[in-house]
Amino acid sequence: MKVLLVDDEEKFVSRLAERLEIRGFEADWTTTSDGALSKVEHNEYNIAVLDVKMPRLSGIDLKKRLEKLAPKMKFVFVSGHGSEEDYDIGIREGASYLIKPFKIETLVEKIKEALSA
Amino acid sequence: MENTVGRICAEGFSFFGMTNRLISHEVKNVLAIISETSGLMYELVELSEKGMRLPPDKLRSLSGSMIEDVERANRIIRNMNTFAHSVDDFIREVDIREIVGLMMEVCPLDSALRRTELNLVGGDSRVIYTSPLFLENLLFHVINFSLRHPGPGKKIHISINSNESRTRIALTGLASHITGEFPTRKEALLAEALSAEIAFDTHRGELHMDFPERIEGSPIQSLLPID
Repeated sequence: MKVLLVDDEEKFVSRLAERLEIRGFEADWTTTSDGALSKVEHNEYNIAVLDVKMPRLSGIDLKKRLEKLAPKMKFVFVSGHGSEEDYDIGIREGASYLIKPFKIETLVEKIKEALSA
Repeated sequence: MENTVGRICAEGFSFFGMTNRLISHEVKNVLAIISETSGLMYELVELSEKGMRLPPDKLRSLSGSMIEDVERANRIIRNMNTFAHSVDDFIREVDIREIVGLMMEVCPLDSALRRTELNLVGGDSRVIYTSPLFLENLLFHVINFSLRHPGPGKKIHISINSNESRTRIALTGLASHITGEFPTRKEALLAEALSAEIAFDTHRGELHMDFPERIEGSPIQSLLPID
């Protein structure tokens, strides 16, 4: 199972990747939307976990660009905002939505749910 | 006049709420980092109990990182506390350099604005009699606009200079020939409330605001808290 994690907080995203690796996932990460686009262009991922608020390109816009490159890829959004607006966007985009900080078990559950949908 | 006061009040509430959202979002980001770091440390210890080698440098680096993140959260909360005190006295003497410094830390809490470097170059420490909340509000919008429209160097410099009658805050390093109106009605209203003047030289990519030593004849002087 290959997961791409995208968040502008390097410490957060790198440690989350390491913890997913411990749980048997193959996890890759990047801190920029450009990095995400490049990785998806050159690699195949089953799912991407995207931060909603990021510099340059929001997680929502990034999802749209990534979907064009990898139409079968699934998505989970994460955000520190926890606002109704963000939640609505996540749901509208047909993706799960998690509010930071979250338990890794919850993320694993969301990833599995998204992949089995 | 009443209409203007109402709009200024609404703007003040909106700004206060927006700033609190930004700050709480950033605190949650830091908590998420601490949560992942402590979770990883716990899991590494568990794995070491099952026979995997646990490198001491890795643990040292993770615990050092947690200390840094606690300090980062503490700085954010300290700024939040300073900001919350902005409304203790609606109009009072404020050190303009301190307020600029505060807003320079608050604006980049919006991750979309972090791609541009923000520097305070030189500048005097100057005390003026004004409304700290609306000064912060105006600075927020001006710094935000500048960070969204940087020149090729992606560096915005802020300087503060005073003479006997006014204090000037200048921002340089903006892109030249920016399209779109600035200051908008919002910044114009805030400048009016602070008896300040705001000017933007689109050719040179320079923006400045002039503040009087004391606000005079401003509609916000009638805004006093209920005793």
